[in-house]
Amino acid sequence: MSALLEVRDLSIAIAGAARPLVDHVSFDVAAGETLCIVGESGCGKSLTALALMGLLSNPPLRRTGGTARFRDRDLFELPPRELRDLRGGEMAMIFQEPMTSLNPALTVGDQIVEAVRTHRACSAAEARDRALEMLRRVRIPAPEKRLGEHPHALSGGMRQRAMIAMALANDPALLIADEPTTALDVTVQAQVLDLMVTLQRESGAGMMLITHDLGVVAGLADRVAVMYAGRIVETGPVAAIFDDPQHPYTLGLIRSIPALSGERRRLATVPGTVPTAAAMPPGCRFAPRCPFAGPDCRAAPPLAEITPGHRVACHRAPIEEKAA
Amino acid sequence: MVEALLSAEDVSKDFAFPRSVVDLLRRRHVTAVHALNGVSLDVRRGETLGIVGESGCGKSTLARCLVRLHDCDRGRVVFDGTDIATLRGAARRRFNARVQMIFQDPYSSLNPRMSVRQILSEALRVHRMRPAGEIDGRIAELLEMVRLPADAADRHPHAFSGGQRQRIGIARALAVEPEVLVADELVSALDVSVQAQVVNLLLELQDRLDLTIVFVAHDLRLVRHISHRVAVMYLGKVVEVAPTEALFTDPRHPYTQALLAAAPEIDPGRRSRRAGARGELPSPIDLPPGCLFHTRCPHAFDRCPRDVPELGPRGPGHAAACHLDAPAPRP
Repeated sequence: MSALLEVRDLSIAIAGAARPLVDHVSFDVAAGETLCIVGESGCGKSLTALALMGLLSNPPLRRTGGTARFRDRDLFELPPRELRDLRGGEMAMIFQEPMTSLNPALTVGDQIVEAVRTHRACSAAEARDRALEMLRRVRIPAPEKRLGEHPHALSGGMRQRAMIAMALANDPALLIADEPTTALDVTVQAQVLDLMVTLQRESGAGMMLITHDLGVVAGLADRVAVMYAGRIVETGPVAAIFDDPQHPYTLGLIRSIPALSGERRRLATVPGTVPTAAAMPPGCRFAPRCPFAGPDCRAAPPLAEITPGHRVACHRAPIEEKAA
Repeated sequence: MVEALLSAEDVSKDFAFPRSVVDLLRRRHVTAVHALNGVSLDVRRGETLGIVGESGCGKSTLARCLVRLHDCDRGRVVFDGTDIATLRGAARRRFNARVQMIFQDPYSSLNPRMSVRQILSEALRVHRMRPAGEIDGRIAELLEMVRLPADAADRHPHAFSGGQRQRIGIARALAVEPEVLVADELVSALDVSVQAQVVNLLLELQDRLDLTIVFVAHDLRLVRHISHRVAVMYLGKVVEVAPTEALFTDPRHPYTQALLAAAPEIDPGRRSRRAGARGELPSPIDLPPGCLFHTRCPHAFDRCPRDVPELGPRGPGHAAACHLDAPAPRP
């Protein structure tokens, strides 16, 4: 399958820090596939998404290297005008906080109509029909009424549905979703995730989903990239990541989550905390917290393939025996 | 029968909206958020009681009523045989020391202008826990207890990460040697790898200090991991309460079943997500009649919008508030 989006060696730096916040990150997203980028706060997962959309606030943030090929164009080389045509059209984004990413002064309908008319030549009436159709597709009850309402009149789950409707209004080939359900309660989260899976299946779009929630990853991903302190430390098919995690950080993450059934055992912990931007360690960035670290970890490990499609950046991989 | 140390008896709490002059002139009724609608719950000595529910279910309000940060509008909270609303002066201060609260947000619950030493010694001095000469020693002991380095005492909260700040919050609560800790979303602001550290610490401390813990959280996994018994809340009411294993293996209230069905599995081989509840939470200003869950319940029948179901027995220590004895979880 040829990749829809091909990111190579993306690096992002912040003024004043010695080491980059996102460091040589590479990944692909194919049409119809869901790539989950998972990591804890500060790992650079959201920065990566913002850079792809051309939304980094520069300064203080600056892209220092890398390419991102989307349908044979380099997103980073596009003139602003063409990038603007792409965004919200072929490439759309769903943000975490629907309350701050919807315009509070415009009705839901007007916002979707605006998104539609920015990208295609159609009459106001046609755009309105499209907006109504989209609200129906994301299963907002009484869509005719909702069209004329402002975002504050909608509940959190409904707002997120409206965001999804807007993002999908122009049939994007690539959807970037940054923590789309983090602000929602579990029962509503389940509804919204269900909806996203169904809509993606219908449209065949590629999806890059950014989350910190391994439950969301397990439920949605085809492939996973685990990020830690600005680097991808492990990537592979979802089954490989959960059944056979090879990076000590991935292992630590999975084992620190309590189970919903079975025996209750003491939780594994990852000692220490994530390094701050100003104090990124040299070499392997996980080494200061790693139970298996040795002198060779002072050199950054390459992201090496251990089984087809499963890559790990660790001098110790494969580690399964030692971790038991 | 195990002794109840802290009990809520039919506790209700409303938060009224301020009325404008126009409202008064038009004789509009006072509108209020009905945060708690008759909660009865026992916390037994030495146990961890988990209180779980989604946002707006009243779990934080209940936690605050239990430590008397809010006074209840109806019903009462009884601690060690005494209605806490009747406590005055020294007796109230004594209660405040015996029942301590740890807050959710480690960034706003610590005074940024005070060093850790000042934060802890304030707690020690206000409750006259130690003579002045022993305060430094006790602070070192407390920091050791929550696994912070001794030199942490002279730093300010901004110098610490979220997980470390929650440890400071725990140390402050433990400074007054409480019997009961009420922890409201203790770890929900923390990253998962750090959550596990704080949860393990809490379990160790409970063992070592014989603490009774009320653990309020929205995360089912954490609640299951840490609690002996669990109460599930929905719209200001307890809908089910049971020993942890019974609740998770045999949930009897449709809302508990929906919550469990919605919690994502950490196993890509078992993708059986099904949304067990339709729609979203009704407004707590304008509560539905009858069973509060009937607007979203897959099993609702004609009786549900009419009659309010009471908590009824479903097994040893297990009670659920549903007109159906054993609603089958949806396939």
